[in-house]
Amino acid sequence: MRLILEVWRQASPQAQGHFEPYEIADAREEMSLLELLDRLNHQLIEANQDPVAFESDCREGICGTCGIDVNGTPHGPEDNVPACGQHVRSFHDGDTVRIEPFRAAGFTIIRDLIVDRTGLDRIIQAGGTVAVDAGTAMDADSVLVTHEQSEQALDFAACIGCGACVSACPNGAAYLFTGAKLKHLSLMPHGRMERGKRAVSMVAQMEHEFGPCSQIGECALACPAGVPLSAIATVNAERLRAMLRHRDN
Amino acid sequence: MSSETTYRPDADPIPSAARPAATPAPFPPTWALKVTMAVTGSIFVAFILFHLAGNLKVYIGAEDFNHYAEWLRHLLNPLIPGSGFLWAFRAVMAISLVLHVYSGITLWVRARRARGAHARRFLVRRLGSRTMIWTGLIVLCFIVFHILDLTVGKIVAAPGFAPDDAYSNLIHSFERPAVALFYGLTMALIAVHISHGIWSVVNDLGGTGTRLRAVVFALAGAIAVVVAVANLSIPIAVQLGFLTVG
Ligand code: HEM
Ligand code: FES
Repeated sequence: MRLILEVWRQASPQAQGHFEPYEIADAREEMSLLELLDRLNHQLIEANQDPVAFESDCREGICGTCGIDVNGTPHGPEDNVPACGQHVRSFHDGDTVRIEPFRAAGFTIIRDLIVDRTGLDRIIQAGGTVAVDAGTAMDADSVLVTHEQSEQALDFAACIGCGACVSACPNGAAYLFTGAKLKHLSLMPHGRMERGKRAVSMVAQMEHEFGPCSQIGECALACPAGVPLSAIATVNAERLRAMLRHRDN
Repeated sequence: MSSETTYRPDADPIPSAARPAATPAPFPPTWALKVTMAVTGSIFVAFILFHLAGNLKVYIGAEDFNHYAEWLRHLLNPLIPGSGFLWAFRAVMAISLVLHVYSGITLWVRARRARGAHARRFLVRRLGSRTMIWTGLIVLCFIVFHILDLTVGKIVAAPGFAPDDAYSNLIHSFERPAVALFYGLTMALIAVHISHGIWSVVNDLGGTGTRLRAVVFALAGAIAVVVAVANLSIPIAVQLGFLTVG
């Protein structure tokens, strides 16, 4: 299968980027989009050119390292699938596929397809943690959690932090990401102790670097972990709760 | 964890070269603006429904309609004397409008800035969500026009405006084809605005329950359709000659 890839090339954060067309003559349907980029890089290395810089790690949808915009859609044409799980079979012979980095003012391009996603880390640093004594693990049954509650918490803990929600958002907002963490920790006994403080701190940090949510809904379609759209409402729910209660928990 | 926001602890040269991490915190906070939008927007939706019920009296007849207009002016008499209630109500509406417009524009500017230089493609089928600022601004022009036309009776009002005859003022105004068209179009835009607006309210006020969200989503569409169809029917009825001045 022959594909034309238009790939964003940018040497440094300050450099001017541009789309560079490349031809892949022997793309195969079962290749993932990352394997397609690997194929391109082999070609470039053989031709003594700079390979395209892109990020990946697990290549099985669990780490959140991969992240590219494909024809303007984060990760690729399939909803709720990370780039490493998207396949060339979504395209037809002769198609032009435009591959660019995640786009948002909060994501600076470092090089080619790699963006700086540490803005999301700073939101987690602001409160996406629980303060528990490290050391000997406590007895498994000493704090009880219902099955339903742990399942619900897991749905929101599923976020792999890839940043697709931000790139998908026409407002550059990180509500789905922040809301998923707030919801996950609010459902767990350990997380609940700092629930109020966490909401104040994480929401403020989120507002530093990311935009406001307008309930557009792009994020939930892009999210490779399938975090439900209700996570965006969680942001204001938790923040309002903190304002009304004025307590740490 | 502290309530202050945290800044990048290490000295990684890459992000700081391109963008300092410690951007100033937006003020007023985005979440507070969104809650303001939701509260003031809900006040407007409640008003629109109330206003609609009144408007439909135009079909009963001039006397009934004028009686209703008069009743509005003296609502809650004698508890609140004269047109006290009407003025208090107007004050609430005016303050809400200022807050709604201010918050809406501020959020829109923040959103544009956070999006960066690259426009996003329009993927999701929710048309309303990305046109809120435009439908909103047109509605704002409409509100000014509408008050001049039928409340104050200046500049854009139809000739022969009579402060005590709300019914005739309405019919005369809508007998002008351009005005009827303008009213019709803005009613459609208001419907688009509130169909997304009511859905936004449940999100901004933190409604996370599955059933609640489904109900509000459906309700948003239903209210928008009712408001558009019922209000649109009036200029159409006047243009077709079903409603005339006695
Ligand atoms: C009769 C008039 C109006 C009604 C019934 C109305 C209703 C609403 C409602 C219910 C919302 C959702 C609030 C939320 O975010 O929770 C909203 C949002 C919005 N309104 Fe209005 N509105 C009206 C007039 C205006 C005007 C005059 C503007 C002019 C700027 C405006 C601009 C906006 C914007 C930009 C949003 C979206 C905010 C966001 O989600 O980012 N609206 N409106
Ligand atoms: S590489 Fe780990 S999620 Fe794609």
